Amino acid sequence: MKRTLLLLFGILLTVVEISAQTEEAVLRPVTASYTVGVGSSHLADTYLSPINYNGWSASLNYDRWQTMKFKPQLWVMNMSFGVDMDRVLNQSGNAVMWAAGLRASWGMLHRWDIAKGFKLGIGPALNLELGCLYLDRNSNNPVSAKAAVTVGATAYAAYNFRLCRLPVTLMWQPSLPVIGSFFSPDYGELYYEIYLGNHNGLAHCAWWGNYFKLDNQISADLHFGATALRVGYRGRILSTKVNNLVSNHFTHQFVIGLSGEWLSLNPRKAISPNAKRYHALFE
Amino acid sequence: MNPMKVAIRNIGICLLALVGILTVAGCHKIEEQDNSILNNFDMLWKVMDEHYCFFEYKDIDWNEVRLKYRKQAAEARNAKQLFRIMSAMLDELKDGHVNLSAPFETSYYRAWWSDYPQNYNERLVQEKYLFYHYSQLGAAYYYLLSSNIGYLRIPSFEYSLGAGNIDNIFASFLVADALIIDIRDNGGGNMTNADSWISHFISEEICAGYISHKTGPGHSEFSKPFEMKVKPVEKGHWLWGKPVVILTNRSTFSAANYFATVMKTLPNVTIVGATTGGGSGMPFSAELPCGWGVRFSACPVYAPDGTLTEFGVEPSPGCKVDMSPTDEFAGKDTILDFAIRLLTTGSC
Repeated sequence: MKRTLLLLFGILLTVVEISAQTEEAVLRPVTASYTVGVGSSHLADTYLSPINYNGWSASLNYDRWQTMKFKPQLWVMNMSFGVDMDRVLNQSGNAVMWAAGLRASWGMLHRWDIAKGFKLGIGPALNLELGCLYLDRNSNNPVSAKAAVTVGATAYAAYNFRLCRLPVTLMWQPSLPVIGSFFSPDYGELYYEIYLGNHNGLAHCAWWGNYFKLDNQISADLHFGATALRVGYRGRILSTKVNNLVSNHFTHQFVIGLSGEWLSLNPRKAISPNAKRYHALFE
Repeated sequence: MNPMKVAIRNIGICLLALVGILTVAGCHKIEEQDNSILNNFDMLWKVMDEHYCFFEYKDIDWNEVRLKYRKQAAEARNAKQLFRIMSAMLDELKDGHVNLSAPFETSYYRAWWSDYPQNYNERLVQEKYLFYHYSQLGAAYYYLLSSNIGYLRIPSFEYSLGAGNIDNIFASFLVADALIIDIRDNGGGNMTNADSWISHFISEEICAGYISHKTGPGHSEFSKPFEMKVKPVEKGHWLWGKPVVILTNRSTFSAANYFATVMKTLPNVTIVGATTGGGSGMPFSAELPCGWGVRFSACPVYAPDGTLTEFGVEPSPGCKVDMSPTDEFAGKDTILDFAIRLLTTGSC
């Protein structure tokens, strides 16, 4: 019995040591980007108005990619945050609607290295969104609040190549919530009634029939040394229909910003010469 | 080709097809509206048809109204003619909360007050009863009458006063035997401001009525009425427990109508004057393709007994009083005199 225990302890120690060695031998650079998006916006929300509004949209975006600690060769993590602002006009041009929103998402994607420099990944993502539309011409219904928590699928395809001598990374990332929960007042319900305490029927189960959202981002990272210039397109479709209320928010943006890879290192620990790097997007 | 690559390509094609189908099927269309005269008319009719809350209560056949006015709209030659026809159509609702707003004019249904005596002369009260020596706090003003009754004028509920401000008003009436609150010509404002005043007249939470909303475009699609409550003002602030008379006229409307409705349910409170103007539907806004705005009653607010006060709140029994033109000419406010007599002698 004693011998068996000693043997088990020995095996455990060996596993821990091998695991530690593996951890030390893996470097997982973070690919981060900071971008600004500017483009067009189409907004319509029948709680506020039966009329479609069109104008401009802008966004600030932070995007972070990193291979996962476990099985870095197979799993990639993506985290993104964004702030959106839209200003749109009705068709006669005498009313302005504003939209503001915050969004965050976290996804874990299984990836495949299809060919040298070509990566594909797909996996689940958790999305959070908060925002509101504001139409100042309305009296008691000037605001339509937006909030949603969804789980969906996100994917990416990244292709690294050289354009003449310039390293370039092309990437496409679609994101599609599948199920979740979102907020909507009732058809003719005033926020005053919600303020008074009537919270019935405000949260709705989201599915493609009543909450359809599709994000698409296509970007090219032009690598100038350690930093890359990111240019691209970001398109967003959000269409909801609940309580006889329809809300559409479509944006198309040109995106520009900076991206790069960085490593978080402990200065007291030397990098192992055998360390293997697992890049999430680049290379 | 490598079987793995073929599989990935096929999966990719399927995913793209799925996303394409979902995008087409998942987007809910909101029709673009053309800016023709008839489409603007039809849109106004439809907005009201789907959102206005008193069709059944007022027994209005909205389809018939459409037939009556659409022919006229088809013959409209310019925006002003169309505006007149649309305004006339909205007047069929007999609702002071309904307005059509164009860049050149805003329509009002006025018969709810213009068909009745005004029953209020502010200058007369200020000159003959307050001697222009009243104190003013925000929009409200107050004065201790010679009969030792406090007079408080609240001309609007658009503006809020804090509990401390209201305390100061009541403190100046410390020795008064009773209070008269004059809400004649008070066209309303925010119900929360009315609640702030009410909270100084109750010692425990009360039911102030019920609010409902439309749950769909049908004329009878309404939510279950939700109880509205008003809590007493926080401890440390003044509560008024002496007799109160509220003065009302036909121009007491909307949030002021709500104030009168709730105050009438309290003991020691008497409503004196004329039936209020009503306005118990909380308004919503929408717009037309031409950019004109429309406002209309959308959420019915019920009295604590479950009735609607859209057509007004009756004065307390035996307290229906109109201003006598002779009195007014002689510098007397018949309604205010009635209230003073009621509070000082206990009889009309």
